[in-house]
Amino acid sequence: MIITCPYCGPRDLVEFSYQGDGNRTRPDPASTDQATWNDYVYDRINTAGDHREIWQHAGGCRVHLTVVRSTLTHEIRSVALTRDAGHRRSGGHRRAEAGDSTGPVSGSAEAQP
Amino acid sequence: MSGRRSETGGLIDRSRTVRFTFDGALYTGFAGDTLASALLANGVSLFGRSFKYHRPRGVLTAGVDEPNALVTVLKGGVREPNIPATMLEIHDGLSAVSQNRFPSLAFDLGAVNQLGGKLISAGFYYKTFMGPVIGPLKGTRFWMLCEHFIRRAAGLGKPDFAPDPWRYERMNAFCDVLVVGSGPAGLAAAKAAADRGARVIVADLDQRMGGSAKWTDDTIEGMSAADWAASALKDLTGRQNVTLLPRTTVWGYYDGNTVAALERVTDHKAVAGKGEPRHRHWVIRAGTVVLATGAFERPLVFPGNDRPGVMLAGAAARYAGEFGVLPSGRVAVFANNDGAYRAAAALKEAGADIAAIIDVRSDISAGARALAGRAGVEPMLGRAVVGTAGGKALSSIRIQSYDAATGAVSGEVRTLDVESLLVSGGWSPAIHLASQAGAKAIWDDELQAFLPPESPGSWIGAGAFTGTFTTGGAVAEGQAAGIAATGGEVATAVDDTAEDDIDLRPAPVFEIRADGKAFVDLQLDVTAEDVRLAHREGFVSVEHLKRYTTLGMGTDQGRTSNVPGLAIMAEAQGAPIPEVGTTRFRPPFAPVSIGALAAERFGELKPERLTPMHDWHVEQGAVMYAAGLWLRPQIYGQPGETVEQAYVREAKAVREAAGLVDVSTLGKIMVQGPDAAAFLDRVYTNVFSTLPVNKARYGLMLREDGLAFDDGTTWRLSETDFLMTTTTANAGKVMQYLEYFLDVVWPDLKVHVTSVTDEWAGAAIGGPKARDILAACVTGTAVDNAALPFMGIVHGEIAGVPVMICRLSFSGEMAYEVYSGAGHGQPVWDALLAAGKPLGLVPYGLEALGTLRIEKGHVTGAEIDGRTTARDLHLDWMLSKKKPFVGSMMMDREGLADEDRIKLVGVISLDNRPLNGGAHIVEELDRDNPRDSIGHITAVCYSPALGKYIGLALVKGGKKRHGARAYTSDPLRNRFGPVEIVSHHMFDPEGKRMHG
Amino acid sequence: MVEQLSPLGDAWKPGAHGRMLGGAGVTLVETRPGSIVQLAAWRGEEKTIIDTIRDVSGLALADGAGAGVAEASRAAFGFAPGKFLVVDQAEGLGATYRAAITTDHGAVTDLSHGRTAIRLSGQRAEWVLAKFFALDFSLAAFPVGLGVSTAHHDVFAQIQRTGADQFDLYVFRSFARAFWTSLCHASEEVGYEVR
Repeated sequence: MIITCPYCGPRDLVEFSYQGDGNRTRPDPASTDQATWNDYVYDRINTAGDHREIWQHAGGCRVHLTVVRSTLTHEIRSVALTRDAGHRRSGGHRRAEAGDSTGPVSGSAEAQP
Repeated sequence: MSGRRSETGGLIDRSRTVRFTFDGALYTGFAGDTLASALLANGVSLFGRSFKYHRPRGVLTAGVDEPNALVTVLKGGVREPNIPATMLEIHDGLSAVSQNRFPSLAFDLGAVNQLGGKLISAGFYYKTFMGPVIGPLKGTRFWMLCEHFIRRAAGLGKPDFAPDPWRYERMNAFCDVLVVGSGPAGLAAAKAAADRGARVIVADLDQRMGGSAKWTDDTIEGMSAADWAASALKDLTGRQNVTLLPRTTVWGYYDGNTVAALERVTDHKAVAGKGEPRHRHWVIRAGTVVLATGAFERPLVFPGNDRPGVMLAGAAARYAGEFGVLPSGRVAVFANNDGAYRAAAALKEAGADIAAIIDVRSDISAGARALAGRAGVEPMLGRAVVGTAGGKALSSIRIQSYDAATGAVSGEVRTLDVESLLVSGGWSPAIHLASQAGAKAIWDDELQAFLPPESPGSWIGAGAFTGTFTTGGAVAEGQAAGIAATGGEVATAVDDTAEDDIDLRPAPVFEIRADGKAFVDLQLDVTAEDVRLAHREGFVSVEHLKRYTTLGMGTDQGRTSNVPGLAIMAEAQGAPIPEVGTTRFRPPFAPVSIGALAAERFGELKPERLTPMHDWHVEQGAVMYAAGLWLRPQIYGQPGETVEQAYVREAKAVREAAGLVDVSTLGKIMVQGPDAAAFLDRVYTNVFSTLPVNKARYGLMLREDGLAFDDGTTWRLSETDFLMTTTTANAGKVMQYLEYFLDVVWPDLKVHVTSVTDEWAGAAIGGPKARDILAACVTGTAVDNAALPFMGIVHGEIAGVPVMICRLSFSGEMAYEVYSGAGHGQPVWDALLAAGKPLGLVPYGLEALGTLRIEKGHVTGAEIDGRTTARDLHLDWMLSKKKPFVGSMMMDREGLADEDRIKLVGVISLDNRPLNGGAHIVEELDRDNPRDSIGHITAVCYSPALGKYIGLALVKGGKKRHGARAYTSDPLRNRFGPVEIVSHHMFDPEGKRMHG
Repeated sequence: MVEQLSPLGDAWKPGAHGRMLGGAGVTLVETRPGSIVQLAAWRGEEKTIIDTIRDVSGLALADGAGAGVAEASRAAFGFAPGKFLVVDQAEGLGATYRAAITTDHGAVTDLSHGRTAIRLSGQRAEWVLAKFFALDFSLAAFPVGLGVSTAHHDVFAQIQRTGADQFDLYVFRSFARAFWTSLCHASEEVGYEVR
C-alpha cells in the first residue's frame, strides 16, 4: 500500500503506523460524562467500506494524516494533514492536490511518483 | 522424454562445456543449459520419485510450471530442496541430487506404495489415522504416532539444519511502467513505453529474455522471432530509461501497484562476486504494470500420463529451439488442439522422429492438416491414448477410439512403441498476478481457459496472458499496452487471426477415462479418481476440494493441474466449469527464499543502538545485554565471579561508597514552546506548570483507559523548554503519544517535541560519596546542598566539557545524573571515574541497577505492565485532583478502583533461596496441583543491603497482606517455598540516604 | 571546545573495500559537522524561519516541502511541515539560532551530538541507497538540495541530496555504527572507499 503524504509525497506503507479510528472526537477534557469517555476509548464503528483513519508518517515527517480508505479494497480515497481538520493552510505542502481531503488519491497510478 | 543433442541450433553456448553432477554421476552440458536440458541431452529420463506413490517421474515442462523434476541443490555446504530442474542453470561444479527416493533413484523401496495405491486416496490420512475413541492412543495421539512414519514416506526434498551462509539483499525500485514477461508482447510493450520516454523495468524469470520468441519458428516484422527478440533486447539494453531484469520472478502483486520480485543473482555462477547477494528481493513501485506473462500449456489426464517420457508438446518444442535438445527415439503427439501440430512440425524439421499424432477430435482445421504433413504423419483423429507402458522410461502407448462428445472409449486397443509422448490439452493464461491484484478470472468457452477480467486500470494485459495466442497478436497488443501505459491513445484493434490458419480453440476434453491411475496433480500425486472421490464425499466448493485432495497445493501451485482438476470436478457435479469456480491465486507465484525476505535484518546487520560509552564498557569486560535494540552493560564481572557475585559487589559498593552507571539509554524528549507547561499538565497526572526553572519533577503518565503508561523525570530548562525523560523501553511509544495529542487532539497548542535521546550522554553517580566525587571534578558550579538541592539542576563543566547535572535518585542513594553532549560522554565518564577512584567509585551494570531499585521498591516496566493502575503501584499521590489529565476520567472506574486488585508489595524469600520473576504467589502450597494464585513476582535479586533474596510482586490486597506468610509456586521451574509479604519499601523507607 | 568522538569507532576503516571493478562505486565519509540544529516554526511562521536561515546561514530556501540548499560547509533543508535542519561545519550554530528565533516564531533544538552525518557519493550512490530506503533516488524525483525524512527498519534518517551523485544522511547517533556497517556491507558489491 502506498499513502501519499501531503508533505513527503507517495511513500510505502512501511513508513506509516496506524493510529486508530479517525471518526472519534475526544471529549472535552473537563467532561465527567463516563459514557462519552467510554465511547471515545472503546467504541469503534468497524466500517466495511470507506473508513476514516489516522495514520502517522512515523518513518518520515511524523505528522498525522487523516486517511479515508476502503476497508474492502484498500483503495485510498483521500489523505489530509489531521491537524488541518479539513481546511488547508499554507506552509509549503508538496503536492497540495494530494493534501486536499476532497481530491482522490487512488491506490493506482495516481499515487505513484 | 529422454533426448539427444541436435547438431546445431539453440541459444546455448556450444563452445563452453560445463561439468556438473546429478546423484553423484558426472555429466557435461553447455553454458546456458538448465539441469533439465543438460540431463535430457545426456539421455537421462528419470528425475525423481513421486510424492505419495514413489512412482518414477521425468520432466513434464521446460519452465517454472514443472511439477515433477524437483531436485535438491548442494552448494556451499547447504542443501536447498525442491528446485525445478527446468529452472536450474548449470555451472561448473553444480551438484544436484534427486528427491524422495531410498536408497537410490533407480531402485526405490518406497515404490511399494504403488501396490497399495487404492488405499492412499484423497483424505486417506484423515480417515485412517483418527485413532480409537478410548484408550492410550485415543484421538490425535494415534495420529501423532503414525505421522512420524508417514512424513518419512511421503514428501519432497529435505532441507538441512545448517545456517544459510549466503547473502541476500533487498532493492527498492520505481518506474513508470513495469513489464512482467519478456516474450514478444512484453518486449513490444517495453519498446513502445521506452520510446515514449517512460522509465521502464522489464522482469523475466528466465535466464534469457525473449519468451517464446527464443524457440518458435514465428516471423515478427519480417525477421525470425529469435532475431527480432535479440535486436529488441539489444535496443533496450542501450537505453538509460530501461532496466532489464532477467532471472527475476515477479511473485507478488500488492496494493498501490507495489510488486515483489526475486532476482537470482548468483545461483547460476560457480563463484559469486565479492559482495554480490545470492538473491535480490525487489520491491518495485510501478505507475502501470504490463502483464505479459504468457500462458501455460496443460497436459491431458489419462492413465499412465505420469510415465517418464511424457512431456508437454510446447516444452519439447522449447527444448529443441532454445537448447538444441531433441526427443530421442520414436515420438508420438497426443492433443486436443491445433497448437500441438506446430510443435510436431517444428520437431520434425529439427530432426525428431515423429511417429504419430493422436487427436481426440474427429475433425481438424486445414492448417493443422498442413502442419501434420510437415511433421510427416497422418493424424489419428477421434483417438485417445488410454494407457502407457514402460519402467523407468516410456516404451509404448495404447490407443483406442474416442468420442469427444461423450468421452467414451471403445474399440480395439492399438499399441504403439514410442519413447516420447508429447501431450497438449490447451493453454491456460498465466493470470496469477492479475488474480493477486484482486481480479476474478472469467471462463472463456472458446479457449477453454480462465482469462483475466477487464483491468481496473492499474495493469494492462498483453499477449497470451489475455488469451491472444498468436505471435502477431501478441506483438500488436504489447505495443498497444506500452502506449496505453504511458498515457497514449491506442487506435486500432488487435488482429488475432492465426498466421498459419490453425484453429486456436481446443476441444473441451481434459480427461480420458480408462483403467489405471490418471494423474491430475503430478507433484502431489492427486489422481482424477481422487477428485471424484472428494465429490462423492460431499466436497462441493473448489476451495474444499483443494484442501481435501491437496490439488494444486504443491510448490508448483498447480500450474499444470488447476484447470483439469476443475474440469473433472465440474463433470462430476454435472455443472459447467465457471459454476464450479476457481480459487484466487495468492502470493508467491513461485517459491521465494526466506533469506531474501529477511534480507539485512539479521547477524551483524541488526540495528543495534550503542551508547557513547559502549566501547569503554566492552573494554572493561562488561557483559553486554540487549535491552530492546540497546546494548547495555549487565555486569562488570571480575575474573571468577558469577553474575550474582558481580552485581552484589557492585550494588554493595554503591550503598557503601559510590557507583557510576550509564543511563544514556533513557528516552529524552525536548518539549518546547509557550504552551509546553500547559501541555505537560495535560499528559502527566501531576502538575508541571508550577515547576521552577532548573528544577526537575517525577512524573507519571496514564493511558486514555486510565491504566499506568510510563514514568520519568522532567526537567525545566527554561520557561518554555522542558527535557522529559522516559523509561528506555517506552521512549518511542511516549514520543508517539505526545505527537498524537499535539497533532490530532490539541493542534492549537504551540509545542514542539523532538527526540534528543541521542543528543545526551548520561552518567548517573550515586552513593554516600557521590557528592564529594562530583565536587572534585566539576567546575563552574557548586554542588552542595544549597546550590544543588534534591531535584535541582546546575550547569558546569567536567574535563572541559559542558555538563548539566540534576540531583535525583533511582538507587535511593544521594545521586546525580550528569548529562553531556553524546560526543563528549566518554571524557566526562573518564573524569568521574578518575575523581571517584580514591573514594571507592565502581561502575555498575543493569543487574545492580535493578537490585538497588528493587530494594527501594521503585517501579519499572515489569510493574507498569499495561495492567496496573497508579493506585496498584502506590502512586496515588501523583494523581492531581486540581486538573483533568489523560486517563483521569477512566482511572476511577469500578474495576480499576477495586480493593482486591493485585498491588505492589515486597517479598522476602524465607528459605534463603533465590526467587524467580514470573512465579506465582499462593496462600496454600500444593506442588501436585498448583492453584489459587494471589499474584506474581515481577522482579528478583539478592539484596546485599538486607542480606536476603527479595523481590517485588503484585499481590491481591497489597498492603493488607504486609507481614503475612505466603508461598512462591513455580511449577515450571520447580521452585516452591515460603515467602514473607512486606512493604515494597524494603530499604531506607524514609529516604534519609537520598536527601542526606 | 573539546572535539566530539565519532560514534563509528572501529567500524570506520579507511581505504578501499569490496568489489573494486575499475574504481570505487561509492565513497563513504563521516562529515562530522560542528553544528546540526533543528528549527521548528509555529504554524504560519514558516516564512520567518526561512528568512532567518537566509540571514544567519546565508542559505536561501524556497518555500516548499523538502526544499533545501547545500554549500561546501553548510546546508539547510525542510524535513517536515514547518521543520528545518540547518547544518554547519562550524560549532555553535545552536546558540546563534536560539538568539535569532524567539518563542513567538518557533523552537530551536540543538542536535549537534545527537545526529551523525554520513556522506555517500559516487556513481552507484543511488543504487546503494535504494537497498535501504523505499524512495525514488533518481535525479528527476530527488533533485539536488531536496531533503527528505525516511526510515530503514528502526533507523530514522534525514537525507539531503547535496550533488548529482552525492547524498548526506543524518541518522541518530546511537544507530550510527550499525547503520554505517550496513552501508559498508551494501556497498561491497560495487566497491567502496572510506575516507
